[in-house]
Formats: sequence, structure tokens, C-alpha cells
Amino acid sequence: MIYLDAGATTLEKPCSVQRAVEEGIRTMSSPGRGSYPASRLAEETAFSCRMEAAELFGVSSPEKVIFTQNATHALNIAIKSLVKPGSRVILSGYEHNAVTRPLHAIPRTERVIVDTPLFCPEKAVEEFREAIGQRADVVICNHVSNVFGYRQPVEQIADVCKKAGVPLIIDASQSAGVVPINVEQLGAAFVAMPGHKGLYGPQGTGLLLCHCGEISTLLEGGTGSVSRQQTMPAELPDRLEAGTHNMPGIAGLLAGMRFVRSMGVAAIAQHERALTRYAAQQMQTIPGVRLWLADREADQTGVLSFVAEGRDSQEVGEQLAQRGIAVRAGLHCAPLAHRTAGTLHTGTIRLSPSAFNTKAQMDRFLTELSDILS
Amino acid sequence: MEHCLMIARSVTQVQRMARLLEQNGILARWLKAPSAVSINGCGYAIDLKEKDLASALSILEENGLAPLRIYRKSDDGYEEVSG
Repeated sequence: MIYLDAGATTLEKPCSVQRAVEEGIRTMSSPGRGSYPASRLAEETAFSCRMEAAELFGVSSPEKVIFTQNATHALNIAIKSLVKPGSRVILSGYEHNAVTRPLHAIPRTERVIVDTPLFCPEKAVEEFREAIGQRADVVICNHVSNVFGYRQPVEQIADVCKKAGVPLIIDASQSAGVVPINVEQLGAAFVAMPGHKGLYGPQGTGLLLCHCGEISTLLEGGTGSVSRQQTMPAELPDRLEAGTHNMPGIAGLLAGMRFVRSMGVAAIAQHERALTRYAAQQMQTIPGVRLWLADREADQTGVLSFVAEGRDSQEVGEQLAQRGIAVRAGLHCAPLAHRTAGTLHTGTIRLSPSAFNTKAQMDRFLTELSDILS
Repeated sequence: MEHCLMIARSVTQVQRMARLLEQNGILARWLKAPSAVSINGCGYAIDLKEKDLASALSILEENGLAPLRIYRKSDDGYEEVSG
């Protein structure tokens, strides 16, 4: 199988991650529950993982690195901390259901969608500025669209938010590990990310990086600390980490982040982008293929969406799968992004390579696609 | 040799404290705090020699990691001391 669905999860993991997960299962018990070696090893591994994330993402202290199950879990904590009933929320037109569904569940929120066309970051900044200037309680923006790979100008949007004193939540699901992120410099209240995509950790891991003071709990339960107290601890990370940690996952995530640091975020991004742009160049010669490709390389990561005119996207995806090519077709849990781009009716087929894909694999994908569409 | 316990806010904080002290040449180990000094139950502490307490406190306070409370260990138990 040629796996080109890293946007869903990176299936191919570094050997170090696989070993770390196996070691976690074999040697780590629950952190904060005992004084014996297996618990201490778990505690030290969790601490090392927080330190690695703090270093990679410019977080001022490891306490502000929260382990979650995935980015959706992280986004729910962030959104439910900041968005109250009746809040006015400014969000980009490319948000995932992990943002829009929690917002939908909070009563009486006023949602202002900044639906700038794809790959127009300058216009996006202007429109965010205008919307925030009218009034905003919270701003939410995904760093990179999971459908189109559109790299949104979160740095400039963060500046606008800082000047306006409005908290910003950034969904870094598709950017963590491929686009530099510095939480302190951005000043965003929260940055949410999965551990299992660009950070090459296992599924069941995610991170919420916190910069904001006031944080509501999503779950209450045991934390291995201040057990007599019946309210959740005020201190991070304990406040947001009730229950037993996924230690094999955290061990794997630590190894994944070390892999990303050793390869270099920029190098991984360049590799993925080069593969996608190569594929896009070739696809432009296949009759009937329409794709969404940024004119400026910097405006798009390695994620690419396309459709085949007159062909059902899901059917094409299915045919590719039967030929050993793994892509994702449909709405990608992001109907808002498709509505903004005008693809809600058809959906798209999405390519999203990882650090482990090769040009030869892209050639094979192109051969199979041409054959299917001929 | 007298020992002291510095009570931390969380397992993450106690590990930061231990690492910082180690980097500054102060021998300290972290552990789950004895029940007698865990007001809310299930606390974490740094165990170090009393002779190192003053310099440890100075380093920790400079780095925003001041302990919640400090106790001196003796044969009779634990006595809270001021920082």
C-alpha cells in the first residue's frame, strides 16, 4: 500500500516510536500513583515529553503542555474554557468539525465566519481585523486547512488579537511538525494539536499548549495529587489531566517529537511540499483533473485536494484504494472548508504525504490515477 | 545530617525543581510526600540536606518554583519551617 493519508494519521512511524510504545507497555505503570520504578519511569517519561514539546513549540514551562487524547479533545477544552453562551466568535472559513461542532453545542453563540478565498492570506488578515474590530470575544483559526493545505496567516491574526485583547485558539492539527510554531511569540491562548499526525506519535495522543490563565475543566477525576480536595487542582497540567495517562502513547509521542526535531521541521515540510507540487504538476496534464494549488509555495503545505470532473470523488478514492493507494475522499470532517471553497457538493480527494513518502510512490499514484480516469 | 522536605504543587513541578537543583549542583531527590506533610493528600516533595536549603530556595524562587511549604525531618516527625 502507498499511504498518502498522513492528514488523517501518519501510518508509517519511525522505528524509535514503535520501540518506545512497546517499552511503555512493558515497563511503565501509571505516573503519580506509586513510588516504585515503573511509576517513576512513567513520571519521568511524561515529564520528558512535556519538556520536548515545550522546547519544540516555544512554551514557557512544561506545566503548560497538556496531554490529551487527540486534537479534538484539546480543542474542546480550549473552546469550552473561552466560549460562553452568547459569545461572539470569529472563525476562519476553513475550520474542522472539531471546532464547529463544539461551538454548535454552546447555546446562543454568534459565529462570524471569515470566508476569504483560498490562498489569499493578506485578504484574510484584513477580514479578520475588520471582524475583530466590530466585536469579538474569541477568535479561532486553523493554522493549515486539512482539506486544502492552505496555510492561514495565524501570526498576523495573532497580532491583531493581541492588540485587541481577544483570546485566540489555534488548531495546529495539520501544522504541528511541518510549520514552525512558537506559542510564546504568538501569544495565542491555546494551541491544539494531535500527536499522531505530523508529530509521528501513536493514535490516542494529543497536546494542548496553554498560554491563557483561565481554564475550565472538561473532565474531573483522579490526578494522583491533592486527593482530599474535591475540586480539580488549580495548577496545570493536573487540572486538565484527570484519569490514567496513555503512557505507551506518551512514550511514543516523545520519540516522535525527537524524530521531528532530528529531521527538522523545515526539512519535513520541504519534502512533503515538493512531493505534492510534483504530483500536482503531473496531474495538471491529466484531462478532467481539477486541483487546488497555491501560486505561492509558502501558502500551502503538502496537503492537496483535487477532483475529477464528472467522477464521484468517493468512487475514485475507492478505486485508488483497490489499487493500493490510500487517500481520503469526501468532506474530510470539514464541511465549512468545502462550503468556503465551493466543493461542498462534490467533496474532494485529498493527498497528504508524510516524511516517509517518496517520488517513486507519487509516480505510481499518478499512473494509477491516470488509468482510472482514462 | 538533617534533611528537609520542600512540598511541590504537582509531580511536574517537583521534577522541574529537582532538575533545576541538579543543574545547580545541589543533591536533591524527589518523592511522593509523606502523608504527615500532605495537607490535601498525595503530594510531592524534594528531599535535600538542610545545609543546602537556603541556596536551593534562592535558585527555586529565582525561577518561579518556590515550594508550597518546607519541613524539617527529625526523629519525632516533621516540623514546618519558614523559607
